[in-house]
Amino acid sequence: MLDYIRRREGLWLFTRSPAAMIAALATVVIVGGALLAPWIAASNPYDLSTFSLIDGLKPPAWLPGGDPEFLLGTDDQGRDMISSILYGARLSLLIGLMAMLIATLLGVGLGLLAGYFGGWVDAVVMRVADVQLALPAILTALLIDGIARGVLPTALHQELRVPVLTLAIALSLWVNFARTARASVMVEKNKEYVQAAMMQGQHPLRVMGVHILPNILGPLLVIMTVDLASAILLEATLSFLGIGLPADSPSLGTLIRIGMGFLLSGEWWILWVPTAFLVALVVSINILGDFLRDLFNPRLR
Amino acid sequence: MAWFLIKRLAQSVLVMVAVAFLAFSLFRFVGDPVSQMTGVETSVEDRERLREELGLNDPFALQFLRFTGDLLQGDFGYSYRTRQPVGEMILDRLPATIELGVVALLISLVVGIPAGIYTALRPKGVTSQSVLLLTLVGVSIPTFVIGIMLIFTFGVWLNWLPTFGRGGTVEIGWWESSLLRPEGWRFLILPALTLGVYQLTLTMRLVRAEMMEVMRSDHIRFATARGVPWRRLHFRHALPNTMIPVITIIGLQFGGVIAFSIVTESVFQWPGMGLLFLESIRFVDIPVMSVYLVVIAFFFVVVNLAVDLLYVAIDPRLRVREAA
Amino acid sequence: MRIQRHFRPALCATMALGMAGTAAAETFRWASVTDPQTMDPHAVNAAPVTSFLNNVYEGLVRRDGDLAIEPSLATAWEPLEGEDGWRFTLREGVTYHDGAEFTAEDVRFSYERAASEESDVRSWFAPVTEFRVVDDYTVEFVTDGPNPLFPESIANFLIMDSGWAETNGAERPSRDAENFATRNANGTGPYVLASRDPGVETRLTPFDGWWGEDRGNVTEGIFTPIGNPSTGLAALLSGEIDFIEPIPIQDVARVENQDGFKVIQGLETRVIMFGFGHDHEALLYSDDVSGENPFTDPQVRLAVAHAIDVDTINRVVMRGTVEPAGQLVPEGISGYSEAHAGRPAYDPEQARALLAEAGYPEGFSFGLKCTNDRYINDEAVCRAAASMLAEVGLDAELTTVPVRNYWEQLRADDYDMYLLGWSPGTFDHEHPIRFLMHTQDDEAKLGSWNFGNFSNDRVDELLPMIQNELDPQARQEMIDEVVAIMQEETAYVPLYTEPLIWAAKENVDLTQRADNFFMLRWVTVE
Repeated sequence: MLDYIRRREGLWLFTRSPAAMIAALATVVIVGGALLAPWIAASNPYDLSTFSLIDGLKPPAWLPGGDPEFLLGTDDQGRDMISSILYGARLSLLIGLMAMLIATLLGVGLGLLAGYFGGWVDAVVMRVADVQLALPAILTALLIDGIARGVLPTALHQELRVPVLTLAIALSLWVNFARTARASVMVEKNKEYVQAAMMQGQHPLRVMGVHILPNILGPLLVIMTVDLASAILLEATLSFLGIGLPADSPSLGTLIRIGMGFLLSGEWWILWVPTAFLVALVVSINILGDFLRDLFNPRLR
Repeated sequence: MAWFLIKRLAQSVLVMVAVAFLAFSLFRFVGDPVSQMTGVETSVEDRERLREELGLNDPFALQFLRFTGDLLQGDFGYSYRTRQPVGEMILDRLPATIELGVVALLISLVVGIPAGIYTALRPKGVTSQSVLLLTLVGVSIPTFVIGIMLIFTFGVWLNWLPTFGRGGTVEIGWWESSLLRPEGWRFLILPALTLGVYQLTLTMRLVRAEMMEVMRSDHIRFATARGVPWRRLHFRHALPNTMIPVITIIGLQFGGVIAFSIVTESVFQWPGMGLLFLESIRFVDIPVMSVYLVVIAFFFVVVNLAVDLLYVAIDPRLRVREAA
Repeated sequence: MRIQRHFRPALCATMALGMAGTAAAETFRWASVTDPQTMDPHAVNAAPVTSFLNNVYEGLVRRDGDLAIEPSLATAWEPLEGEDGWRFTLREGVTYHDGAEFTAEDVRFSYERAASEESDVRSWFAPVTEFRVVDDYTVEFVTDGPNPLFPESIANFLIMDSGWAETNGAERPSRDAENFATRNANGTGPYVLASRDPGVETRLTPFDGWWGEDRGNVTEGIFTPIGNPSTGLAALLSGEIDFIEPIPIQDVARVENQDGFKVIQGLETRVIMFGFGHDHEALLYSDDVSGENPFTDPQVRLAVAHAIDVDTINRVVMRGTVEPAGQLVPEGISGYSEAHAGRPAYDPEQARALLAEAGYPEGFSFGLKCTNDRYINDEAVCRAAASMLAEVGLDAELTTVPVRNYWEQLRADDYDMYLLGWSPGTFDHEHPIRFLMHTQDDEAKLGSWNFGNFSNDRVDELLPMIQNELDPQARQEMIDEVVAIMQEETAYVPLYTEPLIWAAKENVDLTQRADNFFMLRWVTVE
């Protein structure tokens, strides 16, 4: 449980860690920019009428040929890089956050059940986890996307691309949560206060929710942060392999895939601007995750 | 002990059946193999006849049973695209992936373990902090970007190392090896680095965490109190206790290495199983895709089984935990 | 042919034969995106396979650097007298790589093999009603009509040794399992298949006993497929390979400006166009139009043509490498209509006026389907076109699909408007008329790629006449009439002809053929 002292201590530690502060600032700026994209971006990459092919391939403003209107240049379609990135980050964060939340709910839920009830529930959950672990995340995502492709009609599949991709990433991340939750439950459920609660005839769900869950919030928060970073990277990788999002709804990963075509051509900004942005975002989240890890595991300090 | 073995084995078999089913059902649905096997001018009846010949019109369950039965008999079917036996195709590509993966793992362990120990022993030092920050950047750059950056720097710009393929292999029986000639290593180094960086950071961080944990444990404190010199303390008392988790790392990283080898092989055109898999996705080559998934799952199950057994062998206390 | 812009390297006929013995060993490494999936010339009718195998196997006739037909294993051919069909006189003294002699029996065997049910190229022989061996060096194909283009249509019909195939159990192309011919080859061509590692590397060495003469100085050719374009270009620039095709358009300038490398650029025969769901009763992807399909109105289709600025697409997306097109074949292909060389000008005002006339003054929304991995910058072109269509009120909802799912979806009529690239396999205008303009007719195998089922009685009537007409003048007039109908009706909106962009080291001399076939024998390394 996050008690008052821990919170104060965390704040103090936070002010002592420049890396964490910079990371937090960067995360806030990026997330804020992504949230406000529709209002602050110069053009909307989804709306074909807000940009023009005529403006295509402009370098960043400070280079010869650059246009102050497009601070970080434009891509081959004439889209402002900054606008694309803001919208891209919006989508990447949305997918990452949703995937992480689904994975958390699913993983924690199954883990709690498995740990609390044990027996065949435990066996089934853990065997499913085994199957999950036997297929690396990339393959899992491929699998889900493939099934969706086959089961849904094309038009619907296109429309559901984002949810499908989110689900695919979520399903490749839940096992960590499940294992953590299960392990904690197995430890906690034999402790006296839990035994006492059970003796009083409290509903198992209540016991789990009120007595057990709060104890694993710390480690969960750490996994959530790290998994958010992994989810964003996984989306980028899938898009690079051409099985992620299509180019008309550009996430950061899709932008990088498109930019890849310009690696050797001289228009370096189309690749490196979104890449730098993605790396900055993921590094920031990871640094925060690291900070949280240290915070919740004081022995490592 | 025997019961534990049997139970683990049964679980593994169960996992394999589930994976086989998943693999089959997924790839039964993706794309249309017939349109991949035929050219532009093939007529509708010819397409339909081919569909019939391949058994694609049979009920789903029948197709799956046929698939599993064939797998068990070691008959992995034929590629829709090249018409070669799939087993042979995968076996051909196996050495490339294994060598790439093993060298990447070695890089990750050889660099990661000492770095982990160092940062654990001097947690406040500037070097440690920088290394930690660097590894954070390392895990945050997508593998494919690392690969492209290496190609660009060492291949195109400096022109030191080859940028694609395997080159310089030596055949030992059916196993084609890159490891026996310096030429082979020149081709191997960039892909292995690309694949190794991510694993390296994981190894380092895990070793660091374990080492710090161990350093605070009672028996080390006791040893410190007894006045054991620090060098002896670190390497004789603390390190061995850290090594058990390292076995876990190898087990865990195996999956990562295989998964990210798909990306690495695609970037470097490394002729391994991952590249074969990607090619088969591109051409909807269902048999190759399914068998690849089954093979990967099989490796994973075997490695994990081995790790579990190793655990039990090393640390009898863990036998209690076998239900995990 | 006019569609080749640069170069025409002199071929060094003098250096032709007996290379194996000379001191200068010239190893030539090249790469392309796709590996030929089989070495069997009759198993898969796909460009990477036929193109590669033309180095190893040979046909009765072959195409020269300008795509014109020239003698190969046949030295002469003429129409039969008294019946429809063609007689081929075969070359004498030709041997296969394993030393066996080439005779009419091999042609019979190869014909039977290529026209068999297991073959993927049997459609080439659809008009053939009978095959006759007259003597050891004469064969006759009897056809169901005059068929003036028959010799052209079998330029990729590659001849296999009957004895070799029978000894190795490869009498028929294999459909589901591999057979000996999948990974081995025994042709009469200029190069011997020295080793084959599918998907990794294939080696060719010169065939000492080859009958022909114009062959460059390559003593070993090593082919590697490289799927990732950036990796491929990096391999060229770091000197690991000598030649690669294709390279991405945006990298042309980079390669040209780098010392020691060059770009070989020409126009391909493939025309990129938009097609419509002519027989769809309603739009599938519209927010504002239901129960009707505006694209059935030729005025709306013409508005689409006027709304797209091909010149800007060319300048920005294709970097000036394409040639705008107004017909289904590019200039230079036989049957190209000089009389109808124009194309609708970019004129958004006109487009809006046409839409208003057709009853859609505010335009409407619809679904546009495109590939994203089939043609050069296909996705970017579609996005650019969609944004131009949006200007005149045609609100295209763009869906891009990898080619592996694309044809399936088009066959299922899952589009309102779609992107298509068409390369005339026979290098004649009749080809797209047969596949894209004729009404769908599964039985007669006509209109099989006319996804939207454009249907015009006059076109259906003209096609068989074009196929059987021997007089070039009369034939061209009929083709002109079809082109006129295509343009009046805006059956398709042809956009441009795709470029062909190859890159090589400076010291490599080679010939680029507009069908994108790469012939190792035209390579000379200096």
